[in-house]
Amino acid sequence: MANNDGAPISVDVAGVDHDESALSPEQMLKLVDDQQSVMVRQQLSPIPWMLGVWGIAWLIGFGLLWAAAQSGSSWISVPLVPARVAFAVLIGGAIVISTILGIRISTGVQGNSTFAGTVYGLSWLVASTGFSTVGAGLIQNGLSPELASLYFPAVFGIMAGMIYFLGAALWQEKSQLVLGSILLVAGAISPFFGAPTNNVVMALVGGGSMLIAAIVFALHLRRMA
Amino acid sequence: MDELDPVIHASARLRITAALATLAAGDRLAFPRLQQLLEMTPGNLSTHLRKLEDAGYVEVTKAHQGRSPVTYLNLTARGRSAFEVYTASLKKLLG
Repeated sequence: MANNDGAPISVDVAGVDHDESALSPEQMLKLVDDQQSVMVRQQLSPIPWMLGVWGIAWLIGFGLLWAAAQSGSSWISVPLVPARVAFAVLIGGAIVISTILGIRISTGVQGNSTFAGTVYGLSWLVASTGFSTVGAGLIQNGLSPELASLYFPAVFGIMAGMIYFLGAALWQEKSQLVLGSILLVAGAISPFFGAPTNNVVMALVGGGSMLIAAIVFALHLRRMA
Repeated sequence: MDELDPVIHASARLRITAALATLAAGDRLAFPRLQQLLEMTPGNLSTHLRKLEDAGYVEVTKAHQGRSPVTYLNLTARGRSAFEVYTASLKKLLG
């Protein structure tokens, strides 16, 4: 061990430690940039997967709900009950997968962001339970199945949009603001198309934009490498 | 000639400091995770962390997860500003 601890040394002194020789300023600066980009990429790497899983769940899930409601009038014929089950499985699966990926992002990190991440994760559960409860209450008070099939996709889209807004604020990420706005608009306008076309709006505008976001994010991460 | 901080002016410790500097304020990173991100051996990482800790740049927190002890690391305010001064002087050197 070289005994120059504590005393500032000039940059041209090679070998501060025996095992860790100091490189040129260019190389040291590159080392900083490379290491920080590894950190950021590792942190963000599950995000395209999260977006992709949700995009597929929406695209196929709402697509199936739409197809089932066509009731034999078109070339496609999907029975209603299996379609609803498949929708629930797809959305449930997306929740499970994105929770696991979310936990992976925060592995080994402890502190302020743990609280923020937990609250964010819980907001999905809390909001979807709240909206579902309102829906159940409306049905109990005479909301027809036709109107219920407009209500649920709409609030689902608005909920997802709001939570992406929350994510944008938490991680100061403008891209989530864009995606959140699209989902909000998709949810809000979907009832105007009537059932079952509202499901097509959710599948294509909602699911489609999440899949596009997944691809854009994946390309962005690759460019950072 | 600008003088560079000898604590950080060694590639292993510079990488450790740069990695920890990406954490949000108030966050700590577990030792195994840092080791994996830096691709360093535990022994090597410990040695350099001790030097950073001795300089007051890194804070070491011992915690327990269930029964197993976990060591968490974060840059101190002093460490963060030393890193900023260091990168600023590198940039100045390069013009």
